[in-house]
Amino acid sequence: MKYITEEPIDLVGMLQEAHHPAAGAIVLFSGEVRDHNGGKSVAYLEYESQITMASKMIALILKEAKSRWNLTIATAQHRIGKVKVCESAVVVITASPHRTEAYASNRYIIDRIKHEVPIWKCEYFSDGTKEWGGNCNCQKETGDPNKHIYESADQ
Amino acid sequence: MKIEVFAVLKDYFKKEFEIADKLDTIADLKQYLITLNPSSVEVLSRCRFAVADDFVVDNYKITGDDNIMIIPPSSGG
Repeated sequence: MKYITEEPIDLVGMLQEAHHPAAGAIVLFSGEVRDHNGGKSVAYLEYESQITMASKMIALILKEAKSRWNLTIATAQHRIGKVKVCESAVVVITASPHRTEAYASNRYIIDRIKHEVPIWKCEYFSDGTKEWGGNCNCQKETGDPNKHIYESADQ
Repeated sequence: MKIEVFAVLKDYFKKEFEIADKLDTIADLKQYLITLNPSSVEVLSRCRFAVADDFVVDNYKITGDDNIMIIPPSSGG
C-alpha cells in the first residue's frame, strides 16, 4: 500500500478493497479541500511531505490501531501536490466486525496523521495570497512538540 | 553536515544547504540557524529535528556526515 501519493485518491477503489467477510462495519473518512478557511476564499491546497518518514509513521499508526481495536482492515492514504476544492486529500478506512471499533479507530488514525506525520499543507487563496497551515499547535498547550491533544476522546 | 528543510521553513532558508562549521548538538544547530536568520526564531522553536528518518532530541550529538532534516509542525489532513 502506498501511503503517500501524488495521484488523485481512488476512494471507490480503496473501499472496494476493504470489503471483508469478517467485517460487519467499514468506515471511510475522506478529508477534503473546502473552499474557505478563516473567512477567506480558498482556491486550492498544495501538500508536501517527507515521504519516507511519513510512510513509516502511517504504517506504524495503522498497525497499532489494528492491534488495539482488533480491526479486520486499517488503511490510509494521503495525497501530496496540488489538491483542488472537493478533492480528497486524505482517506482512512477501518473495517471491523462491529461499528464501534471501526468509528473509534478511524478517528484515532486521522487524528494521529494530522498531528504527528510530516505532511504539510499550504493554502492558496483566491486573492493570490498563500499561507502554510499549522493545524498542530499542541505544543503551545503541552510545551512538548511530541505531546498532542487529540479530538478523539480515548487517546 | 547537510540540512534539509520543509514547508514553511523554505520561506526562511534554502531547501537544502550545507554547514561547514562544527556544531556539537541539535541545540547548537538551532542557535546557529537563528543567528543566520533571526526571523526564524519562532518557527524553529516549534520544529522537530530528524536524522536518518528518526526524530532526535536537542542534545543529540551531531557528526559531520549527518543529514539533518528540520520538520515543522504537521498540517496534513
